Amino acid sequence: MKSFEGDFYKLVGLLKNREPFAFNRFSDGELFILQNKELILDAQQVKVGEKVTKGLYKQEDFKHFSPKEHSFHRDRLVDAFRFKAKNYFKGLSCRCCVGEESFRWQLEFHGGDDENFTWANLLVNGNYPRFIREMYPLFNGYKTVVVCNDKADLSLFPFLVKDFRVGYNAMVNDYGLIERMRQWIVENRIEGHLFLFSASAFSKLAIHQLYEHCGRNTYIDIGTTLNPFMKMRLDRSYLKAFWLGTRNADINKICIW
Amino acid sequence: MIKIVSGSSVPVGSTVALVSLCTRLNAGGYECRLFGPDHWHLDKCKSGTLADFRPEKGDVVIVHDIGLHSAQDLLDVTATIEASRSSRWQDVLGRTARRCFASAQKPEDFTLVLTCQGDGCSARQTNLSLFHKIHCLSDAQQISRKAKLPVFVCPNLVDDLAKSGSKPAKVAGVVGAIRRENQLELSIKQAFEDGMETVIIYGHLADPIYYYNDVRPVAEQYPGKVKFAGFVDDKQKLYDSVSDVYCSASKPWSTVRLESSLTGTRFHGPDSSGAQPVSNDRILGAWVEALGLPRNQGAGGRP
Repeated sequence: MKSFEGDFYKLVGLLKNREPFAFNRFSDGELFILQNKELILDAQQVKVGEKVTKGLYKQEDFKHFSPKEHSFHRDRLVDAFRFKAKNYFKGLSCRCCVGEESFRWQLEFHGGDDENFTWANLLVNGNYPRFIREMYPLFNGYKTVVVCNDKADLSLFPFLVKDFRVGYNAMVNDYGLIERMRQWIVENRIEGHLFLFSASAFSKLAIHQLYEHCGRNTYIDIGTTLNPFMKMRLDRSYLKAFWLGTRNADINKICIW
Repeated sequence: MIKIVSGSSVPVGSTVALVSLCTRLNAGGYECRLFGPDHWHLDKCKSGTLADFRPEKGDVVIVHDIGLHSAQDLLDVTATIEASRSSRWQDVLGRTARRCFASAQKPEDFTLVLTCQGDGCSARQTNLSLFHKIHCLSDAQQISRKAKLPVFVCPNLVDDLAKSGSKPAKVAGVVGAIRRENQLELSIKQAFEDGMETVIIYGHLADPIYYYNDVRPVAEQYPGKVKFAGFVDDKQKLYDSVSDVYCSASKPWSTVRLESSLTGTRFHGPDSSGAQPVSNDRILGAWVEALGLPRNQGAGGRP
């Protein structure tokens, strides 16, 4: 029986045993791209398909996916979503967060179940305190590479050996970075390293391609989880609840499958 | 069997100490398991979850950080812990009533021992008359001594640590759980005033709000010089990574000072421990005697 806590500790166990794996997350933003809907996130508007609401995003989170212009990148996202390999874990948007219809759409689009499916929210909501207190300290045991926004400050991480930076709409604008990272891995014979990705949709493409290329490293999509350590904003409700004590149910939420 | 049951098993000093005790007792030939509500302890020693815990005839049950009003409270220890921490008025009222009518009867089927880690505040929330023995880490702990209690005092066991082969220069470790009473912000400031070039924070993030509001702003006064490691299991690696350790809170029972000494790390903190270090052998011996266990080979020296 799949459990939100159990899947989290499965990844913790792999880290403790230094067994390489990849954890890739396909949250609601990626879900819309997979559905080939236009997606605009900026300060003025949030556009998903034909639906437009008021914008609330800050510059580092701006995103624009146009089905016509960015079909190549969407195809790579589909590759990442459908890719199967040992210890390649795919986090899906769960039915409790995106609804039954979208949840089922993902499974059908994927082409059936996969034993490596897990939650996109595996490191957040009710698991976030565990992530910070129990998984983060394990990063000290690795030579760690961080891939993140060019505004992030990484000086707090004692385990950092290398960083790669991305900017606005990285999935499109920084796509070439994946090849540069691949070359860096080859030229420096990088094995047994931990790669942490906080680079929105770019992370999904990079994690898939780098894990397929070199499965002897571990790749984790950490999303916004380490924002408070990177001098980035606490603009997610689970972050505000944990770090500021703001009342919010997300910090106790145990997502269901 | 010796069963240690704790209201918390996150990686802070008390849990680490109980893991060590469990491990050493087993190594000395005494069957022992540690039970706790969290996950961290499960791969550190012979252990179980709270759901696995049940006192049985002939057991020695060592209790930590659980408010007990009667021995019956141990039959569903998860419910006992949840009720004792709840702030719902019904639970508060229930606790008060149970305290008023608490039985002073010690259990007959098993031996009940209270271990007071930290400042002993958990002892103030429990019915001390239930216990056959009460363990304190030092005379400095604030346990009520009004009643005639069967207290035995011995410090916590210390990990087997060696002098670090090579040490970095001017790298300070601020070691201990991240909570307000440990005053990390003062330790960080002191380290830089003493000329340290880097400070690494080692400890379980017990209070993230305190960290975010009080520690982080101080760390940001020294751009790029403060690192956050969190709780690291391997103490030898921790001490090997620093030249100096800073603590601001006075905790005579803490093992950090002794661990610093064992690893050749300079310790900066309140000079609160005048006591001579006690060997692990003698500490285990003290436990064996206090618990009334037969003296096995390798069971530790006489206290």
